[in-house]
Amino acid sequence: MRPLLLLCALIFTAGLSAQPVVAPTPQRAGDAKGEDLAGYNIVNSFESGYRFRAVDGNLGKFRSDVNFGNGIRLLGSHLTVHSKKPGTGKFFDEIVLSTQGLGNDPYQFSSLRVSKAKLYRYDGTWRLMDYFNPALTIANGQHLINTTRQLQDHDIVLLPQNRFRFLLGYSRNQQDGPAFSTLQFPDGRGDEFTYLLNVRRTRNEYRLGTEFEVLKTKFHVLHGWEYFRDDTRAPLFSPGAGANPNDTNTLRQFRRDEPNHGQAPYWRVGLHNEAFKSFTVDARFTNTTGQRNFVFDELALGTGRFSSAQNRQVFVGGNARRPVTTGNVTLSWFPLERLTITNHTALYNTRMEGEGTYGEVNNAVAGLQILHFQYLGIRTFANLTDANFKLNRWLGLFSGYHFSERRIGSSQFEDIEAPARLDRAEQTNRLHSGLLGVRLQPVKQLRFSVDGELGRADRPFYTISEKDYHTVAARAQWKTKRWSLLSKFQTNYNLNSTSLFVHSARTRLASIDGTWSPRSFVVLEAGYGHTHIETVTGLAYFSLGELVENDRSFYRSRLRQTRLGAQINVAKRADIYLGYHRIQDAARLGVALMDQAFPLTYETPLARFSLQLHKKMRWNLGWQYYNYKEKLLTLQDYNAHTGYSSLSWSF
Amino acid sequence: MLRFWGLFLLFFGVLWAQAPKDPYIGSQACRGCHLVQTQDFFRNAHTKADRGCEGCHGPGRAHVNSGGKKEAIIAFSTLTSQKSLDNCLQCHSKDMSRANIRRSSHTQSEVVCVNCHSIHKSATPKHLLAHQQKDLCYSCHTDVKAQFSMPFKHRVNEGTVQCSDCHNPHGAPASNWRMGQRPRMQQHAQSNEQSCVQCHADKRGPFLFEHAALRVDGCNSCHAPHGSANPRLLNRPVIFTLCLECHNGAAGFGRTGEGIPTQPGSHNMADPRYQNCTICHVKIHGSNADAKFLR
Repeated sequence: MRPLLLLCALIFTAGLSAQPVVAPTPQRAGDAKGEDLAGYNIVNSFESGYRFRAVDGNLGKFRSDVNFGNGIRLLGSHLTVHSKKPGTGKFFDEIVLSTQGLGNDPYQFSSLRVSKAKLYRYDGTWRLMDYFNPALTIANGQHLINTTRQLQDHDIVLLPQNRFRFLLGYSRNQQDGPAFSTLQFPDGRGDEFTYLLNVRRTRNEYRLGTEFEVLKTKFHVLHGWEYFRDDTRAPLFSPGAGANPNDTNTLRQFRRDEPNHGQAPYWRVGLHNEAFKSFTVDARFTNTTGQRNFVFDELALGTGRFSSAQNRQVFVGGNARRPVTTGNVTLSWFPLERLTITNHTALYNTRMEGEGTYGEVNNAVAGLQILHFQYLGIRTFANLTDANFKLNRWLGLFSGYHFSERRIGSSQFEDIEAPARLDRAEQTNRLHSGLLGVRLQPVKQLRFSVDGELGRADRPFYTISEKDYHTVAARAQWKTKRWSLLSKFQTNYNLNSTSLFVHSARTRLASIDGTWSPRSFVVLEAGYGHTHIETVTGLAYFSLGELVENDRSFYRSRLRQTRLGAQINVAKRADIYLGYHRIQDAARLGVALMDQAFPLTYETPLARFSLQLHKKMRWNLGWQYYNYKEKLLTLQDYNAHTGYSSLSWSF
Repeated sequence: MLRFWGLFLLFFGVLWAQAPKDPYIGSQACRGCHLVQTQDFFRNAHTKADRGCEGCHGPGRAHVNSGGKKEAIIAFSTLTSQKSLDNCLQCHSKDMSRANIRRSSHTQSEVVCVNCHSIHKSATPKHLLAHQQKDLCYSCHTDVKAQFSMPFKHRVNEGTVQCSDCHNPHGAPASNWRMGQRPRMQQHAQSNEQSCVQCHADKRGPFLFEHAALRVDGCNSCHAPHGSANPRLLNRPVIFTLCLECHNGAAGFGRTGEGIPTQPGSHNMADPRYQNCTICHVKIHGSNADAKFLR
C-alpha cells in the first residue's frame, strides 16, 4: 500500500520552478569537498550531452517559446578554485566559473569571478540569446524577428578591502540578425509592404570610479561613458505585392538607411554616513547628458492607385539631446531600538531637445522642412516617509505616507508645413498615498502579514494611469524542517474617471504552495495559483465611417496555474525528478470586437533521471513535453518532445 | 630585596588575574564544536573578515566558557529581523546598491539578509544565496512565477536573465519614470532610467518625436515584462484595444487636458487592416522622421 501511495504521490506532484527547463541536471559529479592541489582546493563538474527535439504543429511558435534544438552541448559546468589559506594565493585566491548551454543552445550563459584578497576582484558575465519571434497575432508574420543578442558585463575592483577602492567596468550589448518590418506606400492611405531589415545595434559602456571613506562618511564616485550605434539597414530590394490584395498600389524598389549614433556620459556620486548611532544618511546624485545624431535616407519607387508612377525619397538629419539629473536623500532614524523611521526625498529633472531637417522629393517635386524638436520636460519631486515599529517579538506594525508631484512641460509644432504653429502645454499631477501593514508571528514557524495602500492622484496623464487606487495583500507562511506552506492573497483596484469617462482595472490573485519532505530522500511539492484581471475602459473610434463614442473595451484574464513535483533519491546513487506544470487562461473568448480575452493552455510534464556511475561520473537522462493550445489563432498550436542524455564528470 | 620582588610579583600577579580577559577567543576555538560550518569556510567570502567567525557572531569567549550557550553569542537564528539586518550592515552598508535597504519593501516585510542569503550553506558561490536566484524569488513571489510561465517571457527560467537584472532586492530610489511611489524595487539603468533600456537601448532615444507614454508612465504602460500571451509582451492580446484605451480623446487627460488624440476617420476599426496599429506605426517607441511614428 505504501509503495502505491508513494507512486501516486510521485505521479501527481512536482517542481517549484515556473515552466522549468529539464536540463542541465542540478546534481553535480565529483566530491563536493573537492580536491587539494598546490595550496588550492578545486571543485569542478562538467555536464555534456545530446539534446533532441520533435515538434508537431507550429515550429515558429515553438521556437518563439522554447527554442531548444538538436545537437551536442556543454549543458553546464562549474569550477571553483580557492586557496586553502585565505590570502596566500600567488596570483589569485578564488576562481568561480559557471557556464550553461555553451555549444549551440539558444540561451547561453557564463559567469566568472577571480579575486585576490586585498588586491583585486573581477566579476564578469557573458550571455547569448537566440531570439525568434514570428509575431503572428500582431502582424501576421510581417514583423518577424530572428536576431541574436549578446550581453557582456565586466567589473574590476582594485584594493577591495581598502579604504580607497578603485572601480573599473565595461559592458557591451549587441543585437544582430535579420528581421521584417512594414511600410506604407505611396502615402498614409497606401498599401502595406513587407521589407527586410538587417538589424545591427551595439551599446558599449565604460566605467571608472572610486570608493573612499573620509570623516566616517563613505563616498562613491563613478564616471561612465556610454556609446550607442544603430546601423540597421533595409537593403535595396523589390518587395512585390502588398498586404491587401484589393489595393492597386505597388512598390517596385525600396531602400532605407537610418544610422543613429549617440553617447551618454554620466556621473554618479553617492555618500553614506553613519557617524551617529541613531541616524544614517544616504545620498545619491546622478547626471547624464545623452545625445544622439541621426540621418534617415529612404528611396521608394512604385505605382499609385491609378497606376501612376510614384517615386519618393525622404532624407532627414539632426541631433537630439536629453540631459537627466536626479538627486536622492534617504534619512534613517532609530529613535528606539524597535522603531525605524525613514524619509526619502527624490528629485528628477529631464528635458528633451534637439533639431532636425526633413527633406522629401516626391515625383520630382522637392520640398525641405525644418523640423522643430518636440520638447518634453519632466520634473518630479517625491517625498516618502515610512515607519517600522516592532512592538514585541510577535507583533510588528508598518505605516507610510508618500507624496509625489510631477510637472510635465511640452511644446510641439502642430504641423511641419508652414506656417508652423507652436503648441505649448503644462500639466501637473500630485499623488498622495498612505500605507499600513501588520506582521504577526505568534510562534516561530508561523508568520502572517497584511498590507494595504490607498492612493489618490489629482491629474493623471493617461486614462489608464493610477488615479484612485487601493491594494490589499495578505500572506501566511508555515515553515518547519519538513513542511513549508505559503498562502497569499492580493487585490489591486484602480479607478480612473472623469465625468464622461471611466477606466477601471482590478486584479485579484491567490495562491497556495506547499513542500513536504517526509524522509530525507523524498521531497514533494505542489502549488496552485489563480490571477484574475478585469479592465473596463471607455473608447472612441471610427467604424464604417461613423464615430463610436460610447463603446467600452473589456479585457479579462483568468490565469490558473498548477505545479506538482516530486524528487526522490534512491540509495544515494540515483535521483529521480517528476514534474508537471500547467498554466491556463480560462477566460471566455470575447463575442464583440472590443471584448478581449486570450484563452490558452500551456502544459509541460517532465522527468529527469540521474545515476551515479562512479565517484566522479553521473549519467543523466531527461524528457520534457510541451503542449500549447490557444483559441484565438489555433494555427499557433504545437506540441513538442524535448530531451537529453548526458554525462556529468569531474576530474 | 627578594622580599620586595616577591611582593612586586604578587601584586601584579593579582592585578593580572583580576584584569578583564579579551572577550574574543579566535576562530580556532569554534572548530571544536562547529566543524561542519568551519571546515569549508575557506571558500566563503567572509573568510576575509578581520576577526573570522567573531566578525559576525561577536566575541566568543563567554559562549565557550558557558559551554555553548546561545545567549552568550550572536546567533542569527535568535535575532529579530531588525537586529539581524543591523549586524550585516555593519560591513555591507557602504555599497551604493544598499542605500535604500532600510526602506525597501523587503525590510518592511521583515525579509532581511538571512532570509535570502545563507552564509554557511549557500547554493551559489557568488552572493551566497540560499537557492538559485529565480527559485529564491519565486518562493515568495508566486504570482510572478505564474507570469514567467506564459508563452512569451524574458528568459529567466532558461537562466540567461536574472531577477536582479531589473530589480534591486535591497531597495531602490524612487522611480523617475512614473509618479515616484511605484514600482519600489526596480533597478535604475545607468542613466537613471527604467531598467528596460539597459538592454533595449534602441528604445531609449532621445527621439525627435517621442511617444510620451515611455517617459511619462514607463514601459509598463503597454508592456507586461514578466510574461504575456502577446508576442511583444503587451498588456493586451491584440494591439488595437491597447492603443484605443488611451487614444480615446477623453477630456482631462494628456498634454493639454483635451485628451489623447483619437485616430482619424479614415481608420475603420471594423476592417482588420486597421486593427494591427503597429503595422503602419512601426516606430511606436519614437521616430526621428515622422510625428505619427510611420517611419
